[in-house]
Amino acid sequence: MKYKNLNNYAFPDKEGRFGEFGGKYVSETLITALEELEKVYAKVKKDKSFQEEVIKDLNDFVGRPSPLYFAERWTKKLGGAKIYLKREDLNHTGAHKINNTVGQVLLAKKMCKKRVIAETGAGQHGVATATVAARHGLECIIFMGEEDIERQALNVYRMKLLGAEVCSVDSGTKTLKDAMNEAMRDWVSNVEDTHYIIGSVAGPHPYPEIVRDFNSIVGKELKIQSKKEFGKYPDIIVACVGGGSNAMGIFHPFIKETKTKLVGVEAGGSGVKSGKHAAPLSDGKVGVLHGMKTYLMQDKNGQILSTHSVSAGLDYPGVGPEHAYLRDIGRVEYQSATDQQALKSFHDLTKTEGIMPALETSHALAYVNKIAPKLSKSKIIVINLSGRGDKDMFTVAKEDGMTL
Amino acid sequence: MTRLEEVFNKKETKNKVLVTYTVAGDPNLESSKKILNDLIASGADILEIGVPFSDPMSEGPVIQKAHERALKKNIQFKDILNLCKQIRIKNKNVPIVLMGYMNSFLSLKNKLAKELNKAGVDGVIVVDLPYDESKSFFNNLKKESIDLIRLISPTTDSKRMKRMLASSSGYLYYVSLKGITGAELKNFKEVKNKVKKIKSLTNLPVVVGFGIKDAPTAKKMASFSDGIVVGTKIIDFIEKKSSQQISSFTKSLKKAIN
Repeated sequence: MKYKNLNNYAFPDKEGRFGEFGGKYVSETLITALEELEKVYAKVKKDKSFQEEVIKDLNDFVGRPSPLYFAERWTKKLGGAKIYLKREDLNHTGAHKINNTVGQVLLAKKMCKKRVIAETGAGQHGVATATVAARHGLECIIFMGEEDIERQALNVYRMKLLGAEVCSVDSGTKTLKDAMNEAMRDWVSNVEDTHYIIGSVAGPHPYPEIVRDFNSIVGKELKIQSKKEFGKYPDIIVACVGGGSNAMGIFHPFIKETKTKLVGVEAGGSGVKSGKHAAPLSDGKVGVLHGMKTYLMQDKNGQILSTHSVSAGLDYPGVGPEHAYLRDIGRVEYQSATDQQALKSFHDLTKTEGIMPALETSHALAYVNKIAPKLSKSKIIVINLSGRGDKDMFTVAKEDGMTL
Repeated sequence: MTRLEEVFNKKETKNKVLVTYTVAGDPNLESSKKILNDLIASGADILEIGVPFSDPMSEGPVIQKAHERALKKNIQFKDILNLCKQIRIKNKNVPIVLMGYMNSFLSLKNKLAKELNKAGVDGVIVVDLPYDESKSFFNNLKKESIDLIRLISPTTDSKRMKRMLASSSGYLYYVSLKGITGAELKNFKEVKNKVKKIKSLTNLPVVVGFGIKDAPTAKKMASFSDGIVVGTKIIDFIEKKSSQQISSFTKSLKKAIN
């Protein structure tokens, strides 16, 4: 299926779907909570004072707008298209994740919830949630897979310093998907006083819409910045995709701008053909998990497969339903980068630009590393530099055979 | 009359229905078969058989572990259907209801209803398929006379309940608490009121599940409903490999609710 006209692109529809994807596949107990969230969100979306409150926090607390930076030395090194970085790593707490949590915590307060919960993989969403919970004085519980707790020890400590309780999840594969299962279990048990701050454009409706909207500040800023900087929109925008929130945030305002090519880069792990990866859009099948219909890594019996990626934040067997739809209509191209390619790009950017990217982000860099040299110097590529790499020091050192 | 209707009609002789939940293939297929037959012999009226899933989001720790044990034995959907067939050979009347998560049922694609029918399955409970998403699934099952058993929860309001009841069959499963399986049941009065409310809106039988772990609770719950579901406690015994306790516990429940 190839898209024809995107002028009327307005998803999700009334049923919370993006084409066949999305929906609300949750237990009956959660339906009321989702309906309430849907209602409140529809109201605040049109509420000027709420939107102003969000913008104020994005400016004064997060430090927006984030700069659009010309990576001059890296561009020269690759010798092709001009490469710009949208510096989400400069946000408070070091990643794009806070764009969503500053908005959702205000939603939680609107609904008079005094407790927030969240799942986290790399720990960035956990930190971003713990941060806004501290700022608003809410009780905060973060669910994190045992394996991730080990590889992201710094972020675990940050969350604790911020006053959050970090719950270790030892079921299943002990990573992000299991943390999400556990968060769902907590939510269903405490649904009356708790708001679940989902950290990606995933989960049941209306989450994919809410998280997208709060993150789309990135794409909106880029529209203004690119017009100012080079008098047109970028030729290509590249972002890494796990659940897909940073990618959706930068893509969404450009969906109708069809001259701009959009590329999402999934975690190729040891290579898509090896089966050891986290790239459901490249090598998955349609199914239902965590409240949504989307592409999933699964076996023929519908069991969710364990994933592999060097980056905890991309180590997820599913992907946001809007990405599934954009893939199927051909509006966004989805590629993958392996662990090794991502690690190489991590080092490249660190050494040539003095910017240390997150391992998640490094997947997007790896793809650009491949295509930029083949493109003419007049082409402009923007990468969503979704997060900084400080949290990944232990992983990178380990990959390099060192102990810290 | 379907097998489910027959079981609940026996109720008019004042029997309340005892529903048991175990996970297919826990701890392995052979034992599963034996456990299910023991449950029938000890008084189970309906067998809810769990379809093991990698991500059982609504289950508490005890049932999660049961899913994990079954998956370790590499249980396939076709094994579960075989298990149902084998139960059916020995017992023509006991209703079999498969309970699981949407992704497992989707894996059979458009063959699902036919395969279920062939295996002698009477109904299906899909934990993460709320009414709103279930229309085509419900219609497909209906073609093969498989009932889609609806879950109603403490948060379901009457308006929604009425819409759900319009396309329900078999029986209704009232989830007694906001939480996961095996959690503690505290508010009996709320359960009673809610079950009464449901019964005022439908002629379908209503069974109560979640949090029922002993005979006195079972008795109380059965006093205002058409039956009870017990899962976690039985699976506790399975984990401890105590087949004798499974039988005696099941018998004690049966006695308590009648």
